Amino acid sequence: MTEYKLFEGCTIGNRIPFIEAASRKVFEKVGIETSQAPFTCCPDPTGMKSFDNNSWLAIGARNLCLAEAEGKDILSLCNGCANTLRGVQHQLKHDSLKKQKINEQLAKIGKEFKGTINVKHFVDELKDNLDKVRGAITKPLSGLKVAVHPGCHYMRPAEWMEADDPMRPENLKKIVAESGATVVDYEEMVLCCGSAVTNAYEEHGLANFKIKMDSIKNSGADVICVNCPACFQQFDTRQRDLGKKYETDYDIPVLYLTELLSLAMGVSPDEIGLKFHRTRMKSQLEKLGL
Amino acid sequence: MITDFEFRKQIMDFHVGSDLIKYCYQCSRCADNCPVTKVTTDFYGTTGYNPRGNILQALLGYKDMIFSADDLVIWGCTVCDTCDEVCPQNIELTEIFTLLKNMSIEQGRGPEFIYSQAKAIFENAKAIPSQPAIERRREQLGLPAVAAPDVNELQTLLKNIGADKKLK
Ligand code: SF4
Ligand code: SF4
Repeated sequence: MTEYKLFEGCTIGNRIPFIEAASRKVFEKVGIETSQAPFTCCPDPTGMKSFDNNSWLAIGARNLCLAEAEGKDILSLCNGCANTLRGVQHQLKHDSLKKQKINEQLAKIGKEFKGTINVKHFVDELKDNLDKVRGAITKPLSGLKVAVHPGCHYMRPAEWMEADDPMRPENLKKIVAESGATVVDYEEMVLCCGSAVTNAYEEHGLANFKIKMDSIKNSGADVICVNCPACFQQFDTRQRDLGKKYETDYDIPVLYLTELLSLAMGVSPDEIGLKFHRTRMKSQLEKLGL
Repeated sequence: MITDFEFRKQIMDFHVGSDLIKYCYQCSRCADNCPVTKVTTDFYGTTGYNPRGNILQALLGYKDMIFSADDLVIWGCTVCDTCDEVCPQNIELTEIFTLLKNMSIEQGRGPEFIYSQAKAIFENAKAIPSQPAIERRREQLGLPAVAAPDVNELQTLLKNIGADKKLK
């Protein structure tokens, strides 16, 4: 098995580390090996890229250099980090002028971007090891209804994310189905959670989020399953604001894909810190006998 | 309306898919599928956020028109990349929107959270700096400490690019 450089990202590493705990448990059970590297922020494709594309390229390329130096591919736990690192790689590989300019800057800190490694999203790694995921399930989540939200940057732009169908993604559904849970379809599956616009214009962000949440609510889902920390935060922390604003009770708990799989692989909710979620899932856990 | 040819050239040069933006025929598929257009626009599409309008104005070099309008015209975009996907002409609209946002930042405009994130990255090499409470939680969860990034090296990189001057 090849060893990856784990790119946990700022949000998971420094804000919601319980997701890293769950991810490491799942990787252990599936046999995915990782090691650490002193990566900086990826940086954020909705933040730093909008601030200054050149800085975004340079910081991203520097992170790629760290993995290149070890000759190892990167495994990302986050849609945003995967999107940045793949996007930087795409721009530098297809625009020789940009590559030259960025390498001039990197040379001043003793580095050079070569483009020799690959960046993989953890969903793709799990999808490629579906039989091993299946083999590690010991406590199928029978009866749990799950609405999946793959997010935007996992599969778009398809030209360089090369992960899944950009408008009809299937991978997350397939992996969740292995857990024994029931995937419920809902109309707005590919709709953005609106994290970025909510930061800039809360009113518009929440109007978009309402469309998303109403659709999930109508599906009768017990939980929402995500594979991006920004989406996780949007669902976990902003449902209450949304409920208040529109006088509706949403209260649908959110599980990271690796948290959902951890539970199905017999890991206890305590071991992976499920209690740190804002949206409570007591009744859902009871339903599962956990 | 004045065409700013320098601006037009910047737009053309920026798009990684070369000059594809020239082939926009204003079909409006981007706006029809944009989630922010949906929640900000009235029935006739005269107000709110509109990616089709942005592409048209960028293509025509109408810099004044774009930058004299409300910031929503640029910063309404939530970067969901749906427009990139549905555009029949394969234009990566979000590349153009990135350039518009970068220009807005150069004018000292742009939402607060973009500046605070850039500042956090400049100071800590992470958008979300490590904090003692989370470090303890990592330990409780049996996680290794996050590998500390080289802040100095990142600052050198950003200073050489001149990005530090854009911070607020
Ligand atoms: S979808 Fe593409 S071609 Fe159609 S209006 Fe938008 S940018 Fe132009
Ligand atoms: S990337 Fe921006 S402009 Fe394009 S569809 Fe999404 S929000 Fe609209």
